[in-house]
Amino acid sequence: MAALLDIEGLHVDIETEDATLQPVRGIDLSVERGQTVAIVGESGCGKSLTALAIMGLLPRRAHVSAQRIEFAGKSLTGLSAREWGEIRGNRITIIFQNPMTALDPCYTVGSQMVEILRQHRRITGHDARTYALRLLEQVRIPSPLERFDQYPHQLSGGLRQRVMIAMSLLCKPDLIIADEPTTALDVTIQAQILRLLSDIQQATGVGLIIITHDIGVVAGIADKLAVMYSGQIVEYGSTQHILAKPLHPYTEGLLRSIPVPGRVARRTPLGFIPGIVPRPIGVLTECAFAARCPYVTNECRRGPVDLRRVREDHSMRCILPGDGTARDPDIWTRSLVATTP
Amino acid sequence: MKEQVPLLEVDGVTRDYVAGNRIQGRKVFKALRGIDLNVTRGEILGLVGESGCGKSTLARLVLGIESPTAGTIRINGKAISSYGRLERARLIQPVFQDPYSSLNPRMTVGSIISAPLEVQSQGTVQSRRNKVDELMAAVGLSSHLRSAFPGQLSGGQGQRVAIARALVIEPQILVCDEPTSALDVSVQSQVLNLIAALKESLNLTVILISHNLAVVNHLAHRVAVMYLGRIVESGATETIFSQARHPYTHALMDAVLAPEPGQRLPDLNLGAELPSTLTPPPGCSFHPRCPCITEICTHIDPPGVYINDHRYFCHHPCE
Ligand SMILES: Nc1ncnc2c1ncn2[C@@H]1O[C@H](COP(=O)(O)OP(=O)(O)O)[C@@H](O)[C@H]1O
Ligand SMILES: Nc1ncnc2c1ncn2[C@@H]1O[C@H](COP(=O)(O)OP(=O)(O)O)[C@@H](O)[C@H]1O
Ligand SMILES: [Mg+2]
Ligand SMILES: [Mg+2]
Repeated sequence: MAALLDIEGLHVDIETEDATLQPVRGIDLSVERGQTVAIVGESGCGKSLTALAIMGLLPRRAHVSAQRIEFAGKSLTGLSAREWGEIRGNRITIIFQNPMTALDPCYTVGSQMVEILRQHRRITGHDARTYALRLLEQVRIPSPLERFDQYPHQLSGGLRQRVMIAMSLLCKPDLIIADEPTTALDVTIQAQILRLLSDIQQATGVGLIIITHDIGVVAGIADKLAVMYSGQIVEYGSTQHILAKPLHPYTEGLLRSIPVPGRVARRTPLGFIPGIVPRPIGVLTECAFAARCPYVTNECRRGPVDLRRVREDHSMRCILPGDGTARDPDIWTRSLVATTP
Repeated sequence: MKEQVPLLEVDGVTRDYVAGNRIQGRKVFKALRGIDLNVTRGEILGLVGESGCGKSTLARLVLGIESPTAGTIRINGKAISSYGRLERARLIQPVFQDPYSSLNPRMTVGSIISAPLEVQSQGTVQSRRNKVDELMAAVGLSSHLRSAFPGQLSGGQGQRVAIARALVIEPQILVCDEPTSALDVSVQSQVLNLIAALKESLNLTVILISHNLAVVNHLAHRVAVMYLGRIVESGATETIFSQARHPYTHALMDAVLAPEPGQRLPDLNLGAELPSTLTPPPGCSFHPRCPCITEICTHIDPPGVYINDHRYFCHHPCE
């Protein structure tokens, strides 16, 4: 069966005053119905631009190219505005980190939901209202009748994100892209929102892409993990495999940074990745991670590294052995006070 | 056992915020409702709870930025209201969540860090310069950033500047209010390492505020769990993590997601939101969200239970 979303060789270039940026440098990704794929990486790695490229929502000065972006067997490249209207907000929906960017402050939650439905469906006002209320209930918003008539600013951040999720479900989409849906929220609300997304995913069989900078949160929700660095996928595979045995140094560094209770001894230094995500200027001439990698050798500087398959359903973009040997997880804590460049 | 005099004592502190006017009606937000807390010299005290529970309010009160509605706060046995502004600044200094909004965008890194010395009229131009160099090195900022502006810094660098500025006048207490909540995990770990290292080398006392129990668990010697303007459980970090008695503490522990294969998403069953500080629920204020609720919880405030240093307020403590 063909994948729901199938992307090959996605590039995004952005002309800025001082440089040509390559924030997305050849992404291959596929999502199947009923599957959850997480895209993980630090801020600035190109996660949001990848999502916006899929949705055809890139800023005007961005140039997108790809061998293939197919959704349900149909190409998404070169669609007219009308054709996008059929897909965006209808077949594919997106949830942003800050719900206020997507909610109109001047209209009540209910009227915005009804409006979306009437845009995409032939439906009476009464039926739209009933259906919208049912969705507010489904995302477990307390007293939905009351919330229906409230304005976005009257809701807490967690409730707004629930409203966003309800809105994204209105047209029974095939694919939901959630870009940092819990980043601004408390850990308690985060756990509940992720649980909600996961429950909905299981109940409806929708395809789900979760984008997050926190690799700590993907374990319970994602089937597949795509670790992104500087516009490239540097490790891809089953979430369980990668968490159990990360192969790319970047993935290892991210995992070593997290203070996992019970696993990392209290008050011992945490791992960290020295330096920062670079601005993606121009063509890569070496491994993108070489400048920050504690395993770096001269060979890493010879040219960009290809993504290679190391076993069934697991690939990585590093010259280290694919069986996980030659790694030293303690390498990430060696220098106690890192000097940032 | 030798009883140590606490460096910082918070004694029956409440804080109300009054909003609105006569026409719309006056509203009283009860941000803090009776906080008792001691901080011992040389320890890291973790303060944890969801947004809106009053952590930042308590931080502003112990920093002396605002005054409590009732109760007293003492440092070294003396009410903070009796210290002068400069004197207080030499005792206790803050690091806030967002380095971009807490650092003056028009000042260079060097002048931001030395500003507290100038306010205190400490040292000469040359000695202040040396002190800034020393601190920049201590927090891991390379010296060429001395003339950079905050807008040119990464989030992690900004937080290092904020820490250097807080430490330049050698305070005894550092109050870090969500110091890493705006940072990537790879940078968060560096800032946490830095706080731990500086605490050791400078013998600091640290109040570490976070909504994330994993962060607090990693660094703190003692933890105080806050809920809706109160401390509902406190004790040694080891005790809290192995023998938490309050259902809310358990919920916070369950909410910590670990990057472990097989980790499942918890069903917290906490309801969608925190009640308002405008109308705190009667009885145990956690009762509307509590899985262990019985009739008594809805109208009687649970008394404190003390077992050595461990303290909790619950009618039905977890076993
Ligand atoms: N509109 C834009 N103009 C110029 N650069 C941009 C624009 N949007 C994003 N970028 C740059 O592209 C890179 C990737 O950004 P983004 O996709 O937002 O990263 P992420 O979502 O992973 O944090 C960053 O270096 C960012 O600064
Ligand atoms: N200046 C203020 N005016 C009115 N209410 C406030 C003010 N500052 C804080 N509050 C209220 O006090 C409560 C505690 O807030 P805060 O201390 O910021 O919590 P936290 O830091 O734990 O998120 C909240 O309910 C908040 O709405
Ligand atoms: Mg983003
Ligand atoms: Mg706060």
